[in-house]
Amino acid sequence: MDKTTHFGYQQVAESEKAAKVADVFHSVAAKYDVMNDLMSAGLHRLWKRFTVAQAGLRPGMKVLDVAGGTADLTRLFLKEVGDTGTVVLTDINHSMLSEGRDRMLNEGKTPPTVQCDGEKLPFPDNYFDAVCVAFGLRNMTHKDQALAEMNRVLKPGGRLLVLEFSKVWKPLEPAYDLYSFKLLPFMGKLVANDPGSYQYLAESIRMHPGQEELKTMMETAGFAKVRYHNLTAGVVALHRGFKL
Amino acid sequence: MIAEGLAEKGLNHLLRQSPGAAEALVRHSGQSVRLDLGVRQLDFRIAADGYFSEAAIDVPDATIRPTTRLFTRLPFFGKSALRDADYQGDPALLATLDRVFKQLAWDVEADLAQWVGDAAAHRLHDFGQTALAQLGGAWRALGRNASEYMVEEADMMARRVDVARFNAEVDELADAAARLEARLNRLGL
Repeated sequence: MDKTTHFGYQQVAESEKAAKVADVFHSVAAKYDVMNDLMSAGLHRLWKRFTVAQAGLRPGMKVLDVAGGTADLTRLFLKEVGDTGTVVLTDINHSMLSEGRDRMLNEGKTPPTVQCDGEKLPFPDNYFDAVCVAFGLRNMTHKDQALAEMNRVLKPGGRLLVLEFSKVWKPLEPAYDLYSFKLLPFMGKLVANDPGSYQYLAESIRMHPGQEELKTMMETAGFAKVRYHNLTAGVVALHRGFKL
Repeated sequence: MIAEGLAEKGLNHLLRQSPGAAEALVRHSGQSVRLDLGVRQLDFRIAADGYFSEAAIDVPDATIRPTTRLFTRLPFFGKSALRDADYQGDPALLATLDRVFKQLAWDVEADLAQWVGDAAAHRLHDFGQTALAQLGGAWRALGRNASEYMVEEADMMARRVDVARFNAEVDELADAAARLEARLNRLGL
């Protein structure tokens, strides 16, 4: 019998999760950026800028943006690595990736864009100076395998950045729960006409490993000097580790 | 995480603004440097392009430990105070680092220009320099006055303890004079 995994609060067969996640993102792709701004009151832009600042990028470097979707981070990375550097935008979801690619084209940029699974990256070993996954790891079925893959494609000394929803500061939990389970689906219905996807978002955040757990997972995957920084009281955390 | 990121970004920014600085470090690429701040250790590796890249290091090739003396002398002596840090490790790497650190210069005007434009940056920079020069001049004048007071005038002013001792001596003398007068009266002189 197929192993099961979580999809929000539901238990589904591992083989089904990717397709279900894909459905969610096919559904929200067109309104993804608007909803991000609405849901986070624009804070996601600051979280992403903070992530880029921690990447230590210089002109000429190679960066992999895993689950890059609408290319928010790719465009910021491109500014850092300049014309001599490379940023590869990837996502498993065609709708999201198309949004990102079109957005880059509209800005006159043509970064390599690859539709691929974060758990099976089609890149050589020791290739990238930095790998980043922002709000993507949560949706992967085998997070340990994805982290191992990111470790494989990183050059020794390269760094992985994981920006993801995390465990919020305890006193804020009731308010955060109210916001996530009541207001978020309501906004999803109002703006994107898709309350189910935003219900999944709230549930998947609760099922995602907390700060310390993810740190341990990264260390198990082979990363050294793993540290994390809570943003907005732990609503989001940036984890960073180095490949030895 | 933030401290390392800021240090890395700051150092590389200064290297970029100082011609030849990163190039001087290229021959040490792959070597590691630890900035040991006591409470925190910041580890860097020198990348192939001569810039600093934060890294996970067990044993660094060079360690730089800022001392209290360095921090107290830095505002007054600038880069020449760098010799007061504690340096350990590969002498060739440390010699290059010493040379490079002394060469680093922050081009404030260039950074300001990115935000406010060239003309405004030039004026702001000039204004800042003038203000700093005046502030420095005021501090120096204050220092000169203080030292002049200590050397020339301090000894001319009676200290509170000396005045108290003098008063006590005057009292003692008055008592002795009164006793002598009483004796002379008794002798009928």
